[in-house]
Amino acid sequence: MKALKALPARFHIAAAVFLLIAAAGVAGPLAATAGPGDLLGGPFVPPGADFLLGTDHLGRSVGVQLVHGIRTSLYIGLLAGVAGTVLGVLIGTLAGYRGGLADEILMGLTNIMITVPAIIVLLLLSISLDTRSVTVMGICIGAVSWPWTARAVRSQIASLRQREHVDIARLSGSRTWRIIAVELLPYMMSYIVMAFVIQLYGAILAEAALSLLGLGPSGTASLGVMLHWAIAWESIRGGQWWVFLTPTVFITAITFSLLLVQSSLDTVFNPRLRVGKAAR
Amino acid sequence: MALLRHILSKLGWYAAAFAAALALNFFLPRLLPGNPVDTLIGQALRGHASSETKQRVYETYVAEFGLDQGLWSQFLTYIGKTLQGDFGTSFSRYPAEVATMIGDALPWTIALQLPAVLLGWIIGNLVGAVAAYRRGGFDRSVYLSSLFLTAAPYYCLAVLLLYGLAVALPLFPTGGGWSFGNSPEWSAMFAVDAVSHWFLPFLSLLLVFIGGQAIGMRSMAVYEVDADYVRFAESFGLPDRKIVGYIFRNGMLPQITGLALAIGTLVGGALLTEIVFSYPGIGTLLYDAILNKDYPVIQAVTLLVLIVVLVANFLVDVLYGLIDPRIRAAERGER
Amino acid sequence: MTLASITNLSAHYTAGDQRFHALDDVALDVRPGQVLGVVGESGCGKSTMASVLSLNPGPSLRVTSGTLAIGGRDVDLTDTASHRALRGGTVALLPQGALNALNPTRRVGAMAHDILAAGDRRITRAESLRRTAARLEALELPPRVLRAYPHQLSGGMRQRVVTALATLRNPRLLVADEPSSALDVSSQRLLVDLLRRLVADGLVEGIVFITHDVALLSELADRIAVMYAGRVVEEAPAKDLVAAPRHPYAQALLASVLVPEPGTRGHRVTGIPGAPPDLRAPIPGCPFAPRCAHALDRCADERPPRLVIGERDDSCWRSAEAEEAAHVR
Ligand SMILES: Nc1ncnc2c1ncn2[C@@H]1O[C@H](COP(=O)(O)OP(=O)(O)OP(=O)(O)O)[C@@H](O)[C@H]1O
Ligand code: SF4
Ligand SMILES: [Mg+2]
Repeated sequence: MKALKALPARFHIAAAVFLLIAAAGVAGPLAATAGPGDLLGGPFVPPGADFLLGTDHLGRSVGVQLVHGIRTSLYIGLLAGVAGTVLGVLIGTLAGYRGGLADEILMGLTNIMITVPAIIVLLLLSISLDTRSVTVMGICIGAVSWPWTARAVRSQIASLRQREHVDIARLSGSRTWRIIAVELLPYMMSYIVMAFVIQLYGAILAEAALSLLGLGPSGTASLGVMLHWAIAWESIRGGQWWVFLTPTVFITAITFSLLLVQSSLDTVFNPRLRVGKAAR
Repeated sequence: MALLRHILSKLGWYAAAFAAALALNFFLPRLLPGNPVDTLIGQALRGHASSETKQRVYETYVAEFGLDQGLWSQFLTYIGKTLQGDFGTSFSRYPAEVATMIGDALPWTIALQLPAVLLGWIIGNLVGAVAAYRRGGFDRSVYLSSLFLTAAPYYCLAVLLLYGLAVALPLFPTGGGWSFGNSPEWSAMFAVDAVSHWFLPFLSLLLVFIGGQAIGMRSMAVYEVDADYVRFAESFGLPDRKIVGYIFRNGMLPQITGLALAIGTLVGGALLTEIVFSYPGIGTLLYDAILNKDYPVIQAVTLLVLIVVLVANFLVDVLYGLIDPRIRAAERGER
Repeated sequence: MTLASITNLSAHYTAGDQRFHALDDVALDVRPGQVLGVVGESGCGKSTMASVLSLNPGPSLRVTSGTLAIGGRDVDLTDTASHRALRGGTVALLPQGALNALNPTRRVGAMAHDILAAGDRRITRAESLRRTAARLEALELPPRVLRAYPHQLSGGMRQRVVTALATLRNPRLLVADEPSSALDVSSQRLLVDLLRRLVADGLVEGIVFITHDVALLSELADRIAVMYAGRVVEEAPAKDLVAAPRHPYAQALLASVLVPEPGTRGHRVTGIPGAPPDLRAPIPGCPFAPRCAHALDRCADERPPRLVIGERDDSCWRSAEAEEAAHVR
């Protein structure tokens, strides 16, 4: 991977930050002796020897909630990210490769889905579901987030399709799925990786937004749910900074590091963005 | 009248999208299994009042929305009422009209979002164009801070601002639309009070918009700064501000489309900011409605957002036609 | 007497940690009232030199040394910050690939006003338009072009508009980078006539005309410089050079272009065996050595000296040794 070496320092820093947080989300819940819902102390105990990150309005440990919250947010993000990327690539490839009527219909649908804000669709879906398991949330988010990927993949496929080696494969009688798998998708791998990072980023944001509105996953902590309660119980105005700052900082750190990773990948795969060193 | 034709051809598309939005808004919650509207009403009124009130609310709602009829005739009733601007009666604040509640909240949201979007768009694009043109250190710091501003969700920045500038350092009020004991009226005193409450949520939206637009403009303008026409203009020693103007104008065209596509996310995100500040707009209305399972209010708000997004998209399309001479030419069939 | 003279110009492109030595100790003189033609294979650094000469090198080009003496002052070519005031008025560029040189969202008239206003802030719009219309007319363009956007003009018209704009402020030195290659024969004629007229009328004091078209140059240019791998290898009066090139590269170049058949005019240089050298490392000796039929032992390692005889000069060991031998005798 020569490309990895060419990545700027900020890529490595951002990736390290993200992986550290993810590790906390995986290892933390295993190491913690208490659950996120357990009432362990008095309400709003500030950070100290007993509770590293203090307690919330009910006396639940913020630290324990945090590691569980990270896990939930990442789980939903991954599930939705994979679902959204797979759907997007499938639909985009189909539209771009087939062209014609299939293209028109799929892209019409995609454009409508892009125009209608995903958060609204998610909101309408969520209020109708009485209990929202993390898996259902992940699937719902993935089901509405594919259009951007589909659109971009479509235009890439449509231009790749014109290439000579694709023509040769077609003329020599290869099957459509074979052409797509062998002649088209390998050229798009770097692109698909970037699309996945963006999907992951978008899904984590969508989960947080829904949770903030009070439509988060039932029966578990997530970063958005923590922020929801922090705001609902007025911890900002009350000055209990550990309660609201913890989810805020971690949501921001996760999303910022993901976006940095994506943008550094973009500069490598898309040389024109490398300002100042631009090769003509 | 090329522009007119441009607009008309778009209009059909938007009518279709609007129909889709209406259907989505109506059917989506109803098509999911195990959730008849009955249950929703039951939930909404759980723990509420006497069974008599419950019965009255229930009957109002059944009558209003023709719940005793089939799904399709319910849909027709819904469309009919919606087109007349009748969104029914609120559950949680019975017997308040949903339309009135929305009417009360809407001006606050508009006062918050409109200036933030417009100003943020202009400043963000200028900053992005300058960054791309200047390159080097200035560009890098603009890029990273813009990336930070867009990466962090709206409400996170809002939380930080609220805590930093209203709680830790009490420069601004800690939320709401006006001070306790004051009430909305047309007076200078109230205006001052309202502006001081308005400022922080506005600032938080403005910063986020600036970040997003600057990133977008920069990545467009990076393609422009190397363009032949920029090099040609430079070869005459044109002042920087002229050249940035050229880049701005050309980079802006794709940015306008970007704005149209992003407007849904913008509006949605901005609603969440209101929650943090308990600002008395649509976002807070929605938040309260969700907490109270006030279904008619939720549905009205989602529909409103959908309509706003469609209208904004449409306006942007028209604007694009006005600004880009190439589009005007294409519409006119010139070469 | 010279109008403009470049000395000791070296520059490289940077891409990542790589350097690309595009110009290596270039020296050139432009005499007043004359057209200096520059020829050379694609990639030999002509456009790079044009960008430095027009005081507007691209962001990835680093000029390491060089002076431009023009109009009684010495411009330090490495100090790009001091160049802006001289651009457009003292030197102007007529760029290669003029099709995209016009801002797609600005009317020709507005662009012309921007250009004139960069030199004279008090000029009125009406005055700008009047002057531009006059220049457009010389290129047989109607005044309505002033109100047009670039996409409304044909390729040939755009090229002429660019020419009009480049000469609008009557620069002392005009650097024209292959302005004619994209044009049909009659537009080429018009362009060449305009350039000649501008020099004859003294509106432009001198022109550097870069092209692949040696045949065109032998008519238009007073003197011709031949470039190879970022160096000027020979410079001489146009007729002398075309009739009897001295440098082996110039000989090969002319032999490959001046095939006396119709239709080959303006073709890109082909037919010299071998490829131009890799410029990522500086070349100590003569860059043409690997391809040169006359190469001597020292050619690859020692830099050939610039030998000036009368009106012409070239940089080649063979000439240098022949000259030495003549002296000894
Ligand atoms: N921005 C750049 N970065 C790196 N190398 C460059 C850049 N621009 C040009 N070069 C290299 O510098 C050399 C000289 O380029 P230049 O454009 O001056 O050639 P030219 O003589 O004008 O060629 P042509 O006749 O094709 O226009 C070329 O080999 C080219 O690869
Ligand atoms: S210096 Fe040597 S190699 Fe170069 S052109 Fe002259 S004879 Fe050939
Ligand atoms: Mg060139």
